Parts: sequence; structure tokens; C-alpha cells
Amino acid sequence: MNRAIVEGSALAVLALTVAVVWFRARHAARPESDGGYTTREEIEFEIGRLQSEVYRWLTTTNHRDIGLLYIAFGTIAGLWGGVDAMMLRTELLTPPADIWTPETYNALFTTHGLTMLIFFVLPVFFGVGNYVLPLLIGADDMAFPRVNAIGFWLLPPALLLARMGLLVQVGGQVLSLFLPDESIQFFLTIREVSIGWTLYAPLSVQQPNPQIDLLLLGLHLSGIATTVGAINFIVTVVYERGDDVTWANLDIFSWNMLVTSGIALFAFPLLGSALVMLLLDRNLATTFFATEGGGAILWQHLFWFWGHPEVYILFLPATGLMSTILPKFVGRKLFGYQFIVYSTLGLAVLSFGVWAHHMFTTSVDPRVKASFMAISIAIAVPSAIKVFNWITTMWDGDIQLSAPFILCAGSIGTFIVGGVTGVFLAVIPIDILYHGTYYVVGHFHLIVVGIIPFMMIAASYYWYPLITGRWYDTRLAKFQSVLLIFGSVVTFMTLLIIGGVGLPRRQAIYPPEYQLAQQIATVGAYVIGLSALLWLYNMLVSYWRGAVVQTTDPWKLKATNQFTKEWQWFEERMVEKYDLEPATPDSTRRSYAPELEPMGLLGGVGSVAENVYRNASAAAAGGFVGTVLMAGGLGTAIVVDVLDPVSFGEIAEPVGLPADPLFGAALFLVGGTVTWPLLFLAFQEYLPGRYLFETGTVFATLISTGFAIAFYTGQQGLVLLGYLGFVLVAHWAYGLGLAVTFQFLQSRRRKRRRAEE
Amino acid sequence: MSESADDGSVLFTYVAPFLGVLLVAVGIGGAVPGGYAIAQEQIGGCGEPSIAVEGPEETSQRFATSQPQLARFQFAELSPAERAAFREGLADARGEAHVEGSFPNGPAFRNGSLVTYEGERHYVTVVSENPCFQAAPLQFPLGLFAIGLGVVGILTPPLYRKLVALERSVEA
Repeated sequence: MNRAIVEGSALAVLALTVAVVWFRARHAARPESDGGYTTREEIEFEIGRLQSEVYRWLTTTNHRDIGLLYIAFGTIAGLWGGVDAMMLRTELLTPPADIWTPETYNALFTTHGLTMLIFFVLPVFFGVGNYVLPLLIGADDMAFPRVNAIGFWLLPPALLLARMGLLVQVGGQVLSLFLPDESIQFFLTIREVSIGWTLYAPLSVQQPNPQIDLLLLGLHLSGIATTVGAINFIVTVVYERGDDVTWANLDIFSWNMLVTSGIALFAFPLLGSALVMLLLDRNLATTFFATEGGGAILWQHLFWFWGHPEVYILFLPATGLMSTILPKFVGRKLFGYQFIVYSTLGLAVLSFGVWAHHMFTTSVDPRVKASFMAISIAIAVPSAIKVFNWITTMWDGDIQLSAPFILCAGSIGTFIVGGVTGVFLAVIPIDILYHGTYYVVGHFHLIVVGIIPFMMIAASYYWYPLITGRWYDTRLAKFQSVLLIFGSVVTFMTLLIIGGVGLPRRQAIYPPEYQLAQQIATVGAYVIGLSALLWLYNMLVSYWRGAVVQTTDPWKLKATNQFTKEWQWFEERMVEKYDLEPATPDSTRRSYAPELEPMGLLGGVGSVAENVYRNASAAAAGGFVGTVLMAGGLGTAIVVDVLDPVSFGEIAEPVGLPADPLFGAALFLVGGTVTWPLLFLAFQEYLPGRYLFETGTVFATLISTGFAIAFYTGQQGLVLLGYLGFVLVAHWAYGLGLAVTFQFLQSRRRKRRRAEE
Repeated sequence: MSESADDGSVLFTYVAPFLGVLLVAVGIGGAVPGGYAIAQEQIGGCGEPSIAVEGPEETSQRFATSQPQLARFQFAELSPAERAAFREGLADARGEAHVEGSFPNGPAFRNGSLVTYEGERHYVTVVSENPCFQAAPLQFPLGLFAIGLGVVGILTPPLYRKLVALERSVEA
């Protein structure tokens, strides 16, 4: 199939559909006042209005306008890169390269990667930052409004330069219908770059396609735009904060944008240098990356010194949005604000120390690789801190099942899987196995799709009332959110699996036994594509037809004291423009615990340390009593010969002890005294039972199934029945002992407290 | 109108459009390749491998340091289709051309070979097989049907709301 014609047509149809949807929605929202036909004067007026609008948008320096321009640009680039993705997934429906040629397939995954990373994600986050960051910190505008405008307006030419291959190809094919080939050689020579988004030397130096040079110039221009934008964000956060905004209470999204900009400031100039060196190698015969006189590996070092921090440049704003949006929909303040800030700063520093984990299969010195392995594993820690804090923020919260929340919850899940699979890749021996397989593709897509666009869309829903003064279609939004999560999980989990069994990535042709898995992944990708279109439809149509926001507090944030600065700005605006009464909630409560005080698992208040000590000591006492009671039941089982003591020896082996029943029994006592009681404390709230002893019995029944499997030594018939009976009864004794001891300790503590009062 | 619990049917508000989207996605996967299988005969180029022909300078550069065992041909030894493709490749801006017809030296070209033409050596290799796409005859119509049915599924929520409104207005 002809890629240029297909992709060009697809993009044209998409653009046309968007225009039709927009104007139809607008027309339906604003019928003629007299119900009649549009007159010539009205058309002239409309054209004049259009001219002034175009002039305004081209010359604006207002941070909110520029934010919207960034978002619109990023969305267009995202759709373009998305069409690439749909096309490359279509190729993979069949094992041979019989839909596109291998070279076209290579070009598709190259342009998909570059467009999504450089022209979609960063502009959208800079757009969100531009719109809300000054509102969040109480600034009038960005520090350098005109520089801000320049930073944006460098991007469209950069995108055109980078993606000119497609435009020129389409142009060439149209021109070849009318002109002889000799006269349009240029149009027939240029084609989309097909060397992978990482542009590895020596291929990137030697391939004659002139589009590579234009791409390098486009990337360089986008790098300048990013650096300019980053400087603006840094200066804005440092110097433009309102009087009441200090470093200690600066909101978490602004912190993330500040740190992201800091990373960009260090990373992007280096990318610029590397791109210039590559341009010189290609055009002026320098030998920076030549095998003789330079080194192809040098390109990888320079590229990834930008490329890995770039991953965090894309990821950190998404975490900032998560930390901002999630608390609003669970009615609780963000847990561990300081730790989130420190983890963001930690990620920024560490992100510059892990670049060579992309190069574990190269000839880099193994000792150097080992240090990169250590830092790559360590970088999981700050990411995990964020995840734990998000989960803790949700814990016991008052969940509001809206589209932004669905996306937040989905993001946490996909990010955990994406992150954990990354920890495996950080380990050199495993990376050597999985390098260049679909496992890597699955891993990074679970992050770059599984949290970044999720959070963009969550933010678009969350701030839609603020930006437009209207509501989006909430049902459609929830549906779209679920669809996006479903499509992502299906697609990228499938890629993880086929990569896990060794299918190489970046191959148009693959063995037939992988066809079903590839088809499942492709259908999942189409679902993602359709969900993106539903989001776009919702955004465009709701702008004209969404229900008008009738309150100054659309998300009822005042009720949990989370009515943040951007919404205060919104309220002021609504009061000024429409004379609305500021919303007053029926009731308010503090936003970190419904009970107003942090509760211990066994009741009682106090510091975290006090609660931990109290829980651990009660658990140990209860666990010991329970285990002793249980030992009676199990001992009887051994005596009547339905339980084999050898099985106790077997559990000692995995922890490195000799396979001796005595060691096993001691280990069993430790587990029963420490591990299971703490688990019981953690889960008792969620187990059935009105009283603690009922809950204890349920818990004991559940864990008895694990015991029955672990200690089974081939019993048959009646012996098996006896074994199961004794196991169950012994566990009930354990559960009752545990629960009754807890109750006893609690009542004693209550009595003591009363006596003190 | 903040996000509140939906009044109405979960089945028609969420489940039906979800199944609809799945049907559309599967339908696209069937209809696009199925349609391409039908259209490729008109488009042409399928079943005709592409060869890349390198100029004499590039060829000498390629083999400046090593001399791999490659098949060597005089231009006259090639079949008419191979000769035509070779000439077309030389003239082409990207140095590529389809072999339209019999391709007896295909296996040698796939490994890369050297063709001597007008006294100069040219490295020639197959860069793409361009196999014809095979699809079941029903794939395209069934794919279209699935897309259509899926669209109906996606449009179920507003249709459902309209029907409910209609019934309520009749009752009123």
C-alpha cells in the first residue's frame, strides 16, 4: 500500500471531520436569531471576526492563550503520531510484510516515536503548565510573555521540518501525475526517515535520505523552543510567586514543572550539540561518529544523556498532575507532600545517571555498566515513593468515581506494571536477554501511554469547566477513560508477553506463531485510537453544547478544603462576569482523614511511631497466643499421623536453613507471631464479621487454605480428610486466640486511659 | 451538573458502547487488510520484488576493504525483466525499481550480487519482496458489518436516552 497517500488521506479526513464537528456543534448552539437565512452582511461580519481572531491568536502573549495553543499543537501532533501507530499496528496483523514494505514499516515506527515524544507530550505539558501554573502560584502571567510566545511559535516549523518527508512524498506523488520525473527529483528522493527514533550512527550518518538533515534541523529547533520554555517556567516559579506562596506550600504541579524545566535546561542543549555533530558528519565529512576517527558509541552516549532525562521530562509533569488531581477526587490531602517533592528532585538528579542502561549490550566497560545498573535500580525508589503516596492518599478516602479519578486509578496500575518491568530491565543479565525485544516496547509504553496521556486527559476533564465554563459529557468521559485503560492494558501487556518469549521489536516480518498475539495487540491499539477520537469529540462538542457551569465550585472542593488557587481565580472570574454567588458547601471537613485524627489499626490516636509500636506489640502478643493454641491442634494431627512433620523441614529450606523439622517449627512460630498478625491487622477492616472474633475466624479460614497446600505431603482418602479437618480447626484456634488477645489488650488500654483521665 | 451516579441503564450506557468499540476495532482489523487484498490488483506492484541498484562509486566503497563471495553477472545475462528493472533503478532518484516479470536470478539478488554494466560494477540487492496480500473473501464484508454494528453499539447511549424520553412523553 502507498503509505504517503494513505496517511495523507487519513490525516485530511481527520482534519475535515474535526472541522465539520466543530462548526456543526457551533451552528447548532447558535441558531439565527430570527430563524431565517444568513445574510450577506452577517457573512462579511463573520469573515471580519475570523480575521481579527486569527490576528489575536498569532500575536497573543497571554499565558492562557499560549497554553491553549500549545495544547492544540500537541493534540494535532499526537493525532499525527497516532495515525503512524495505527498504520504500523495494521502492518503487524499479518506475519509477512505484505501491507507496507519493511522500509515503510521502519519509517512508521521512527516517525511515531519522534512525533509522540518531541511534538506531542512536551508541548501538551508546557501548555497545561502555561495555562494553570501562573494561576496556581498567584502570578499575573509568565515571567517573559513574549519569549513564551516565541517558544511556542518555534514548534510548528520544527514539526514541519521533522515530518516534511510525508508532505514531500504526497506532493511528489501528486506532481508526478502532471510533471516528468526528472523535473521533480527532489520530491521523489525525500522520504520519511526510517532509521529508528534513536538515530543511531553509523546508519544515521550514511543513509543518503536528505529528510534526515531536515529532521535534525527540526529537532534542533524544537530543542531551542523547549529550552526557552524551560527557562521561562523556572524564572516564573522562582520570581513570580504570590506573597502567600512559599517553597513550603508551593503546589505539587508547579514543583514538578520547575524540576522538569531544570532537567530540560541541562538535557536539551546537549541534544542540540549532538544533532549539530551528526549534521556535520553527514554534510561536512567530520568524523565524530565514524568508526575510524570517532566512534559510533559516542552518539549513543550523547543521545541517551539527553534521551533518558527526556523520559523524566515527559513523566514528571504527569506525576505532578496525578498528585494534584487525585486528592480532589478522594477527599483527602496528598499524603506525604514533602516526600513527593523530594522524590521529584531525586528523580531529576538520578535521571542523569542512568543513560547507559540503554547501552548494556554495547562494548561499554562492564564495571561502568555495573554502576549504571545500580543507579537504574535505585531510580525505582523515588518512583515507588510516589506510588505509595498516591495509594496512601486514596486509602480510606471518599472516592468520587469521575472520569479523572478513573484515569488516575488506571494510571497507578499501569505505571506499577510499567515500572516493575523496568526494574527487571535495569539488571544487566536480564537486559541482555530482553534488549531489542517487544518486552522493552511493552515496558516503556505502559509508562508513556499508561500514565502520560492518561494524566493529560484527566487534566483536560478536571480543568474543562475552568477553561471553558462548560461541562463535558460526563458519561462519555467515563466510558472513554475505561476504554483507554482497557486498550492500553490489552495492547501493552500482550507486547510484554510476546517480548518475554523473545520476539524482536522493529521487525515488519515475524514468525506466524505470533500472529494471534499481534492481532490482539493491534485490536487493543485500535481501541486506544477510538478512545482518543471519543475524547476529541467530547472536547470539541462540549465547548458549544456542554451544560453551562452554574457554580463557582464545580468539583465541590470547598467541602474538603481543597479549593486551590486556580479555582479561587475561577470563582473571582465567575463573580465578576456573571455575578454568581460564591458556592458554600453544606458541610466542610479537613481533607486528610474523615475522623479528623490518624487512627491506629487497633483504634487509638497518637503519632505514627506510637501506633506502629502499639500495633506491632499487640500483634506479637496475639500472634504468639494464637500460634501456641494452633500448635496444640497441629501437634495432635502429627500424633494421629495425618500431618507429616517432614513438611515443616521443607519450609526451612527456602530461607536458607537446614531442612530440619525443628528449624521449620521455629520459623513457623516466628511467622505466626510476626507476619500473619500484622496482615490480620491490615486487612481486618475489609473482612466480613461484625465482631473481631468473627473476623479472626474468617481470616484464619482464608489462610488455612494456603497452609493446607504448603504442608500437603500426598495424603489420600480419610487421612486427607483428617488432615484438612485438623488444619482448619488449628487455624480457627489461631484466629480466635489472635482476636481475643487483641480485644483483651484493647480493653486494658481503654481502662488505663480512663484511669489516667 | 458535576459527575454524579448515572440514572439509567448501565447496560445501555456503558456495556453496549464498550462492545461496540470492540466490534469496530476488530472490524477495522478485518476490513482494512480485506479491502486492501481486493484493491491491490488495481494498485499493482504486488508480487514484484523491489531491487536497489547502487552506483559504481558506492559499490567500490562498499567493497574497498572486504571481498565477500557474491554472485556476479554481466548485464546481458539477466532476464529482460531484470534488465528493465536494473535500468529503471539506475535512473530512479532512490535507486530502486520493481522487477515486473520473470526473476530467475532472484535467489542470487536476495543475497546481494554484482552486476557489470557498461564496464562498471553495480551492487544489486532485493530490498522488499512486496508479497501479494492474501485474505479470505468474506473478510472485507464481515469487517464492514462489524464496524457498522459497532457504530450502532457506540451510539446506543444517546439512542437509549431518546427512546426513554419518547416513552415518557407518550405516557405523559
